[in-house]
Amino acid sequence: MTVGRIEVSGLPVLEYKCPNCGSGMVFDSATGMLSCPSCGRKDNIEQLTEPVKKQVFEDKEIKEYHCTSCGAVLVTEPETSATTCSFCGSAVVLSDRLSGALAPALVIPFAISKNEAMQAFKKWCRRGLLTPRGFMTADRIKSVTGIYVPFWLYDLNHRVEAHGQATRVRSYVKGEYQYTETQHYEIYRKVQANFVRLPVDASAKMNDGLMDKLEPFPYQELKEFKTPYLAGYLAEKYSYDDEELLPRAQGKVRPYIESYVSSTVTGYTTASLIDYRIDTEVDLADYVLLPVWMVAYDYNRAEYTFAMNGQTGKVVGKPPISKGKVAGWFAGVSAASFLVLKIAAWLMGGGFL
Amino acid sequence: MRTKRLLLALVAFLLLSGIPAWIPATMAAGENKTLVYDEAGLLSPEERTELNELANQYGPDRETDFIIYTTLNPENTDVQKLAEDFYDEHGPGYDKTHGNAAILTLDTKNRELYLAGFYKAKTYLDDARLDKIKARITPYLSDDNYKMAFEEYLKTANRYMGFKPGVNPDNPLFNIWVQLGGALVIGGVVVGLMAYRSGGRVTVTGGTYLNHNSSSLLDQEDRYIRTTVTKTKISNDNNSGGGGGGGTSSGGHSHSGSRGSY
Repeated sequence: MTVGRIEVSGLPVLEYKCPNCGSGMVFDSATGMLSCPSCGRKDNIEQLTEPVKKQVFEDKEIKEYHCTSCGAVLVTEPETSATTCSFCGSAVVLSDRLSGALAPALVIPFAISKNEAMQAFKKWCRRGLLTPRGFMTADRIKSVTGIYVPFWLYDLNHRVEAHGQATRVRSYVKGEYQYTETQHYEIYRKVQANFVRLPVDASAKMNDGLMDKLEPFPYQELKEFKTPYLAGYLAEKYSYDDEELLPRAQGKVRPYIESYVSSTVTGYTTASLIDYRIDTEVDLADYVLLPVWMVAYDYNRAEYTFAMNGQTGKVVGKPPISKGKVAGWFAGVSAASFLVLKIAAWLMGGGFL
Repeated sequence: MRTKRLLLALVAFLLLSGIPAWIPATMAAGENKTLVYDEAGLLSPEERTELNELANQYGPDRETDFIIYTTLNPENTDVQKLAEDFYDEHGPGYDKTHGNAAILTLDTKNRELYLAGFYKAKTYLDDARLDKIKARITPYLSDDNYKMAFEEYLKTANRYMGFKPGVNPDNPLFNIWVQLGGALVIGGVVVGLMAYRSGGRVTVTGGTYLNHNSSSLLDQEDRYIRTTVTKTKISNDNNSGGGGGGGTSSGGHSHSGSRGSY
């Protein structure tokens, strides 16, 4: 049975065989199409019909998946929803982990290929001002893995009421005295603050801080989810649902709300809003997959993990720090500042030495 | 190897020949004028010699005679008049008679002191700076620790004359330790920031996700509570302190000055 060009065998393991030559097809980040590495055939994913969402799988935990190409057991973790067969290298998608409640609404496909990711990472390493020389050459990259990381995109509407104090300070001279007049106000603001597509990563494995720094993701690249986008990459299903992650989304949005409310307070010398009452309404929570290159790097018997935004190429992650370079920069910056201070003092009329 | 040794010999030669040439030059320049007039006998002969040498050492740098004059003041003259008369009579000056001079006058009878600056010292040691010097040495004088007081006077007056007229010589920015500390703090902050930012930064703000069309200010109320007023007296630094200020001697020499008691 063929639906569009995707084989649906009733098994939860999907593979994309080239209709021309029978090779396994993978997603190509350069063209955004499903392409065949053997014969060069390219298929537009957006025109393919997607069978997975309609398909209903029996509600039982499947313990073992078999590669449809070679029949070997696919070694997967419980979260994995797309991977490659470790025996024959075929790109496979585990469709039962992408259907029903686990069906992503949208996906941002990779725009950076593995090779480009590697080059971009090496370039980033060279730019590090405090990274050790041996690290900058980036010749110990252990692995570069493209992962579609599960995120929830929240549309959150907030009705905010905030109370606080503000002051207006006026200063003037009268006779022999300098007067400082402070007017105190009690301020109140009622604000509607709506945020759209606030991303929160839903994978237990991924470091939250690392994922937060990867933002922003270009939302104009969001596509309706189709499984062929995952062909050739790793993908994970969410570990936490939208309700479980709501507190984290609220924590993330809180400083945004506070800065928005503060921006409505103008005309004061000092202003502080302390007492916030925030009513949150979840307008929408979309399950999406976002592209991330994970780079594992061995250096000095320790493994460092970096993440790269699969669309923008932004690299995040703590590189090792060279004590020598820190000392060098510290000495250099201090010496330069000392000279500047000396010259400033000299220009102001002090002696140079 | 040979050239290296040759170079070393050359350096040694230059050093050895340079030092003797330099020492007599400074010695000769001073010829040790008498700059300490301890008529009240507050100092031991050794202390007097030592202070006199110090004053002679500072003189050429600032082209100014730094003079210490103590008197028992038998005729009970005003301390400012004592200083002026001393200048008129002795006519001190580094460049010429009645030239650049800074004089510390001590009246042991009334326990009063007067600091005066003539010509170059009048410009570089204005009333405000003399007030500062007075404030520094008065505690020593009150303890009858004259040697320390005079030494402090010579050192501070010499140091202050290194600053352009009109600037505050005690500005912390001029202090080498403040400069050094400030430089180290800047270095530390810059490197700390570099290390902190090495792992990538958050580049999104609330504006990234805010829906500008549907977000708005719904209601606001600003209520005036009260007004508080604080007042501070404007300190007029100019010409304050210990009833000082300069004047003109009967010989017609205008000077800056600062007086006080101890």
